[in-house]
Amino acid sequence: MKKLYASLGVIITTAFVLTACGSSPTAVADLLSTIQARGTLVISTDPAYPPQSALKANPQRTAGSKCTTDQKTLGELEGFDIDVATAIAKGIGVEACFITPDWTLITAGNWAGRWDISVGSMTITPERAKALYFAQPYYTTPAALFVNNSNTTYTQASDLSSKKIGVCGGCTYENFLNGSLVIPGEAINFVIKNANTKTYDTDSTALEDLSLGDGARLDAVLTAQPTGQEAIKNGKPLKQLGDPLYFEYLAPAIDRQSSLDAHTFIAKVSEIVAGLHKDGTLLQLSQKYYGADLTSAAATFDATQFGK
Amino acid sequence: MDTESIPKAQILNNDPHQGMGEALAALQRRQKLIHSAKVTGVWVALVVLLTIGLLMLHIQPSYMLQHYNIILQGAGATIGVSLASITLATILALFGAIARLSNNSVAQGIAGFYVSVVRGTPLLIQIYIIYLGLPQVGEQLNNLGYTQIGKLFILDAIPAGILALSLNYGAYMTEIFRAGLQSISHGQREAALAIGMTPWQVMQRIILPQAIRIILPDVGNQFIAMQKDSALVSVMGVWEITFLANRYARRDSKYLEMYLIAAAAYWIITIISSWFQSRLENRLSKAYER
Repeated sequence: MKKLYASLGVIITTAFVLTACGSSPTAVADLLSTIQARGTLVISTDPAYPPQSALKANPQRTAGSKCTTDQKTLGELEGFDIDVATAIAKGIGVEACFITPDWTLITAGNWAGRWDISVGSMTITPERAKALYFAQPYYTTPAALFVNNSNTTYTQASDLSSKKIGVCGGCTYENFLNGSLVIPGEAINFVIKNANTKTYDTDSTALEDLSLGDGARLDAVLTAQPTGQEAIKNGKPLKQLGDPLYFEYLAPAIDRQSSLDAHTFIAKVSEIVAGLHKDGTLLQLSQKYYGADLTSAAATFDATQFGK
Repeated sequence: MDTESIPKAQILNNDPHQGMGEALAALQRRQKLIHSAKVTGVWVALVVLLTIGLLMLHIQPSYMLQHYNIILQGAGATIGVSLASITLATILALFGAIARLSNNSVAQGIAGFYVSVVRGTPLLIQIYIIYLGLPQVGEQLNNLGYTQIGKLFILDAIPAGILALSLNYGAYMTEIFRAGLQSISHGQREAALAIGMTPWQVMQRIILPQAIRIILPDVGNQFIAMQKDSALVSVMGVWEITFLANRYARRDSKYLEMYLIAAAAYWIITIISSWFQSRLENRLSKAYER
């Protein structure tokens, strides 16, 4: 009995000591040299968003891979993001390894070194920049409205004011509908007023609901143009309404809370992405996956403020 | 006839009541067989009806046939995570229950607090907190110079999932174990103590062997529930059944198809584990059969 009380005392004192001197400054190692020494770049991606990131039809682990067993290899994933991530890893001179946590875990920051970088079509927003550093964006995504095929009454975006519009929760589309979206260097015209916003886990569920019928669960979905077009290609009875409402800049992101110094790594990634813009690699990938040039506008974006 | 010249076996055979008994037993066997055949018939009919109903939905059975094996690749992760978690949860629950029943106020307090906190919060939230929060504890330890201990707190997806499931189910099972241990009459404990056994020996030799028979069906239920709750670890990126079904559904816009395959996979896994559960229960109850 006395022993138990004594050990409990020790536990409580240790806890106090740990919280009291939690932050003692130590020499910080460099993230880039850690990655080079390891020989692998660990990239987070959620393979729930074709054509950016998806599982391969027949996933096979790459033979002789240096990736650890809980990491996935290039043989298991495919898509635009995956190709860009692989090109970045190649630029550093290491192998690309992937891990697939939930999107909210990626945007939350505090990765604890479980992965080095997110190459996951992440939009640069001021909120995210508080938790993450952003490197040079590698492409832009037009945000577009989609309605059911059978609808004939909507002709422009403003017709959807006060209608049921589906978006993914926490995405920029939700911020657009409630008028709080800020994209650095872009003036946004909030044409839809008083939208009845329905938030979804992901855009694809919203598109699925819209396919059930015009107004059945949703009147429209605001999502990335490529995502909506992909659903149409897969046979969903949908159509795009009007021109894109705004463009998002999508960039690789790096954890601000990393215990390693990330600045040389960010500079290196930005340099590699700029090189991929210059030599036409990104334009070629954009043509391959989207059949359009979504990358050129991202080449001129000044991302230096988000890397500091 | 002289009874003394008849062999004993023949006397037994001539017992007029024996034939009646055998006939009755045979009748009961037959009735039981007919009954279970009827139950099986109802099951088959329901499966056929369900299949017909599902085929009337807008689904593409050929896609399901081509892709069911992909989902099965996730079954290993689902079963592995569940087995590891139920093992850890059982150990946690045993100590939790002993602590709850002990006279030691500290042990009782810790166990009660654990059960209350864990049962009072959703599993999904616990998974997020363990995955996001534990590494921060690890980094604090790292900064203090305890790098080896610090590393232990930075868990990958699978260990983090196993930890979350074990902690969660450990709390529910603590109560199951407590009820099981309490069901053994107090007199047995007193008698064992009186003949000089230590409290641990009493637990090991007298209480546990009897209590396990009562606890086991509930543990089996928890295991079946856990196999389905393990779907929640997909949020951390474990490639188990739900994760794969969901990602292929999005890849090809084949939601119902993939979710139906996943549902069937979970169902089959739980059928198999219920079968093992009933075998184990039969074995343990042999000593009590008459």
